[in-house]
Amino acid sequence: MALPLPPGLTQPEVAFLAEMELVTIVPRQRLESISLLGGQTPPLRPPHRAELPLWLALLLKKQRRANIVPPPWLHPASLSEIITRESKDNPDAFSSPPPPPSRAHPTEPGRARRLAESDANLSPPFQPSCTADAPAGYLPYHWLEVAEALLAHAGDDMPVAAGEVRSLLRDLVEVRAAKMRSSTSTLESFGGGLTSLRGVGAMELAESRGFVLGVVDGVRKLGASAEATRREEEEFGGGRDVSDDESDEDMGI
Amino acid sequence: MDIDDILREVDPTFHEVPQEKRDLQDLTRAWVAERSAPELLSWPSDGLFERISDSIRRQIERIEEMTGDMDPKTNFALIVIQTELERFKFLVRSYLRARLSKIDRHALHYLSTDELRARLSDTEMAYASRHQALLHNHYLSSFLSSFPPALQNLNDTSGGIAMVDTPDLESAVFIRLLNDSLVMGRGVDTDDTSEFQEGDIVILRWSDAKSLVESGRAELV
Repeated sequence: MALPLPPGLTQPEVAFLAEMELVTIVPRQRLESISLLGGQTPPLRPPHRAELPLWLALLLKKQRRANIVPPPWLHPASLSEIITRESKDNPDAFSSPPPPPSRAHPTEPGRARRLAESDANLSPPFQPSCTADAPAGYLPYHWLEVAEALLAHAGDDMPVAAGEVRSLLRDLVEVRAAKMRSSTSTLESFGGGLTSLRGVGAMELAESRGFVLGVVDGVRKLGASAEATRREEEEFGGGRDVSDDESDEDMGI
Repeated sequence: MDIDDILREVDPTFHEVPQEKRDLQDLTRAWVAERSAPELLSWPSDGLFERISDSIRRQIERIEEMTGDMDPKTNFALIVIQTELERFKFLVRSYLRARLSKIDRHALHYLSTDELRARLSDTEMAYASRHQALLHNHYLSSFLSSFPPALQNLNDTSGGIAMVDTPDLESAVFIRLLNDSLVMGRGVDTDDTSEFQEGDIVILRWSDAKSLVESGRAELV
């Protein structure tokens, strides 16, 4: 049977994707390496840390076979720093995404280049952005889903009370939701061809996808005849260069 | 194993991404792209699906062997393997179903030119042409045969309106840049060109995004 879902990932599908994020665990039992379809799992030897996909880490956690190390960006200090940045320093844009792995090792330029070469075709959820080595102060693409999953199933592994992290997280969701809402005013006058949503998260995208794409497509359909006229004029009007003088217009939301 | 392999093993800076992980990344990317793109994308040509269905088959055989001995130690490994297998099967199924729904919706369009036909896999091709033949026969026997011959076509373009429904290639999509590149987007009032960085998420029309996605410089999200 064909798929009855609308185009674009829905929230459950995004959550499914987020479960592929790698997280760091501290095993409490030995477990030999298992050969899975997605590659071998590392052999687990307590107390050595290991990196596993979130779904497997949650399975181990539920069976009390491991503890999950929360990623550095989920620590309250990092979260409050991000909230300050989102609300005070830069109230109009989302905070920037984590630097790509190629730039994550400024002290070892040689190593950074090697990483960039071999990891070039990896993107979230396969970049290690939720492990214990991830940089603090940056929200990865699947931040909300991973944070919710960790709080729900591994709340006792948090460095502070889960309630504190949860309330910080709620603040962050509010701040960013307000930005997503205010982006509609940019969309209303959406005359340009590009809109950047640098730093947006997967779940925020899934939530507002229908609305945002609906507005963009609606504006395009309403303006279709005006656009056709403009193109004709440009073609006959000596090819006025529009890309140069209006390049400021692709606004960061 | 030659000296290069040995060096690679002891070199801690060498992060070769294993083939399995690469395949999982490619499958996930193909699934997300197919779910988001307004039109049918090309069937992966590098044998990705043959590899994946092979490994799924092997994994199922392994599970059948493992269920024979009920050792509690392998039992947990079995649960993990089965959980992962279900996740893979979900990805594959959802990908195929997303493609089928597009083929169903615009079957005549995807059968119309050789270039579009090349996007379908062999089985999809067989499905689409048989489905269309059945449908056409049904129309003929139920009402089309009583029309005058000039009105019996299902792909007329007379009167400036094509009967064949096509997907809307101008609809907007979200893409993520995989490396720093220059992006051109057409808009209603202005056309924009600007430089974006790796990891940036941009809204633009599918017709503008298509070349970026196909060349691997961006992916749909």
